Amino acid sequence: MRRPFFLDLRLIRLPVGGWVSILHRVSGAGLSLAVPGLLYLFMLSVRSPEDFARVANCLSGITGRLLLFGMLWGILHHLFAGLRHLGFDLGWGEEKTRARQSAWAVLVLAGALALLITVGER
Amino acid sequence: MRTVGGARRGLNLWLLQRASAVVVALFIPGFALYAGGRGSFDFAGWRALFAPVGVKVACLLFVAALLVHAWIGLREIFIDYLHAMRVRLPLLFLFAVTYLACLIWAADLLWNVK
Repeated sequence: MRRPFFLDLRLIRLPVGGWVSILHRVSGAGLSLAVPGLLYLFMLSVRSPEDFARVANCLSGITGRLLLFGMLWGILHHLFAGLRHLGFDLGWGEEKTRARQSAWAVLVLAGALALLITVGER
Repeated sequence: MRTVGGARRGLNLWLLQRASAVVVALFIPGFALYAGGRGSFDFAGWRALFAPVGVKVACLLFVAALLVHAWIGLREIFIDYLHAMRVRLPLLFLFAVTYLACLIWAADLLWNVK
């Protein structure tokens, strides 16, 4: 039987925990697909001084920096949101206001730290 | 016909997802401290990071945990959105084979850094 469902993404208002949750999934999917590419970059970086320089140059260009930021944000968001979920598994911070606070903390910390590292990297 | 999957398997994977998460979550800050403590890198300095056998082992454990974690995560996503088994199962197989290849590739790369 087909039950009725509501899936108008323009009208759905997610609470902050919902955003952290869907971004956890999106970042996880993105990182999973990125693994072979990252291994390829690692291969270049340890293969020869020329390839090492190529990778370093790529990462300092504007496109490279955007990619680096995206990758760092994905890693950090997934890591922090994951730690929050491990906390829930242990029964920590399940109360509503606490859960909302930790959700905001994940969003802000991941974004800020990714930005800091991207800008700080020469 | 035998049903694919089942509750027991789901629970085992649920636990394995947390165990692999812990390995990854310990490795990332650990490696960042190890590498960050050495300042900036040229090619030789970057390679030297991976020279000690303990670092190779830690990195390979990290990659193994990461790949297990990624596969279980993708499985969760496929179960939610890909309801046709003729689509879901081949994709899970494809990722399993690709990730196994990645693990072997990572071992080869790490042990070739002298």
